[in-house]
Formats: sequence, C-alpha cells, structure tokens
Amino acid sequence: MFDTILIVALSALSVALVLLFIRVMIGPSTQDRILALDAIGVLLVGFIGILMILQDTSVFSDIVLVLTILGFVGTLTLSKFLERGVVIDRDD
Amino acid sequence: MPFQILINVLLAILWMFLQNEYTFVSFLCGYFIGILILIVIRRFLKFDFYLKKVWAIMKLIYLFMIELIKANIDVVKVVLNPKQDHQPGIVAVRTRLESDFEISILAALITLTPGTISMDFSDDSKTIYVHSIDVPDKEVMIKDIQDSFEKAIMEVTK
Amino acid sequence: MTAMIETIVTVFVVIGVFFAVVSAIGILRLKDVYSRAHASGKSATLGVIFIMLAVFIHFLTQGEMNAKILLAILFLFLTAPVASLMVTRSAYRNGVKLDKNTITDDLKEMYDTDQNQSN
Repeated sequence: MFDTILIVALSALSVALVLLFIRVMIGPSTQDRILALDAIGVLLVGFIGILMILQDTSVFSDIVLVLTILGFVGTLTLSKFLERGVVIDRDD
Repeated sequence: MPFQILINVLLAILWMFLQNEYTFVSFLCGYFIGILILIVIRRFLKFDFYLKKVWAIMKLIYLFMIELIKANIDVVKVVLNPKQDHQPGIVAVRTRLESDFEISILAALITLTPGTISMDFSDDSKTIYVHSIDVPDKEVMIKDIQDSFEKAIMEVTK
Repeated sequence: MTAMIETIVTVFVVIGVFFAVVSAIGILRLKDVYSRAHASGKSATLGVIFIMLAVFIHFLTQGEMNAKILLAILFLFLTAPVASLMVTRSAYRNGVKLDKNTITDDLKEMYDTDQNQSN
C-alpha cells in the first residue's frame, strides 16, 4: 500500500514536470522559460526525495543538495545576465 | 549574548562527557539542560537572557509558517479558479526598517506570504515594490505588511 | 508503530505532491510572468519542503539522522525568494508586459522619474 501511494505520487510529479516542460516550450518571454526551468529543478528535488523513501537508501542526499544549489545559481545567473548583459558587475 | 551561548555549549559538552556518549542526541540533551540552568541563574547575569531574542525569532518563524500556509491556500484558490479574473497590481510599500539585513529579510518574508512577491527596491532601498496577485484594496495591503512583519522583525533586531 | 509512521510519511508526501502539481498547473495557466512567479516561488517550494520533511521523518525513524536533508530544506527556503525576485525584476526591466487585468503599477512611476532625471 505504502509503495503504491509513493509510485502514484511519482507519476503525479512526472505529470507536473511535463506541464512545466510545455511552459518551457511555449513561454512567450525568456523569463517565463527561466521560471519554469527553476520550478523543474525544485520539483526534481522532491522527485529524488520520494525515490529515496521508495528505495530505502540515503545515498541520494548529496545529489539533493547539489541540485538545490545548482538550480538556484543557474536561475540567478540567467536572470542577471538578461537584466544587465553581464553576470558579474564590476563597477559599484 | 555570545558569552551566554558559549556557556550553554560548554555545559552541553560537559553533559556529553558525563554521559560518556558522544552523539548528537546527548549534545541536544545537554543543551536543554544548559538552558534550564541559565534560566535558573538569569537573575545574577548582568545582561539580558539570550533566549528572549531566540523567543522573538521563534515568534517570527511561527508567524511566518502560518502566513506561508495561508499563502499556498491562496495560490491554490487562484490557480484552480475556473475564471481567471483576479486583478494583479504592483504596489509601493514604504518601510521604516534601517539596515540592509532587515530590509532583505522583510523582502524575503513578503515573497513567501499570501499573494505578494517583492519585485524591486528603490534607489535608497527604503521602498519595496510588491507585486500582488489580487489587490482589492491597496491601503489595507500596505498596512497589513507594515503591521505584522515590520513589528516582528524590529523585535528581533532592535 | 510502523503503520503510524508510514501514515505520517504518506500524508506529508501527498500534501507535498498536491502543492507541487498545483504550482505546475499555475505556471501553465496564469497569464503573465509576475503571476506565474507566485505559483513557482511559493507552492513549489512549500510542496518540496513537505516532501523533504517526509523523507527526513522516514529516515529518522530508522535511526538515521540525515542532516543533509535538513540543509536542503534550509537552502530551498533561503533561495526561493531571491530567485523569484531576480526573475521578476529582470522581466520588468526587460519590458515584459503586465497582464491587462492589472489595476495599479507603482513601479512604472519610479522608472519614469528616473528617466526624467537623467534626461
């Protein structure tokens, strides 16, 4: 029973990921796409979390951390680049 | 205040040695016992008991959790509403907070609460521009933010 | 005992997945970038935080204190507001249109006065 519910949850998350991918495809502005990609990163963290319960292993916890940080840094640099044309401003 | 935390950690380590159990759980046990001891001797300390500040932070987190849950119910309502007739808007909110740290905390809290995300700061970073997903009344919204969060943050950092 | 823990974990997972799916629907359905940022910044974060709490409880009851998961929750908390602020700000500065239902726009005045001063 427990496993079944988890598998259903995984399928629901997959559907959510597909919906986000549609937004990445059609998004009228680039910021829409960044937003959807950011949400995909966050949802992937949840996906891996459920996999950890399902497979009863904690080896994925490093991956969760790295994915969180990389998703954040990616979103930040992309939006900063779009705003100013540079990622690191030199003048203060 | 750092001195008190140091005493507390030292008491916790002492507790660990007395128990001869070098685990996180026994450290936590020792820390709680240290807090109890500090409460008992707080009349003899020259400065304020540091847990008062921790208590203020806890209150802030509690307020924030409640608001976060409300925020999500709000978003669910808006998203699943068959008619998309909400009226978004951008509102300027003046803040009385001083330091950059307080203002960034306020901005983060605004983002995670019902129907509002902070979008931009003015040049003197005293005004936060807030995008709200539904603005029935501008003044009420501004007053809400100023009353609830500013007060709680001021209590923590005053 | 095991059944109770499994029930708690299941409830947390179901709540989390519900919020995650709602945020995905919101990102697809809402009309402009700024409204979509509401869905992604709040619901997705809270949903995933619930799921990670379920993971943490699951491993805690097996006698394994996994602090990395708590760290991941903390990072999600800290980074979600900053990410949505940066995205919406860059959208506004790049001139992405607001939805036509929008009733007030105080930010426009600031950029207008900015330009007048520089002219």
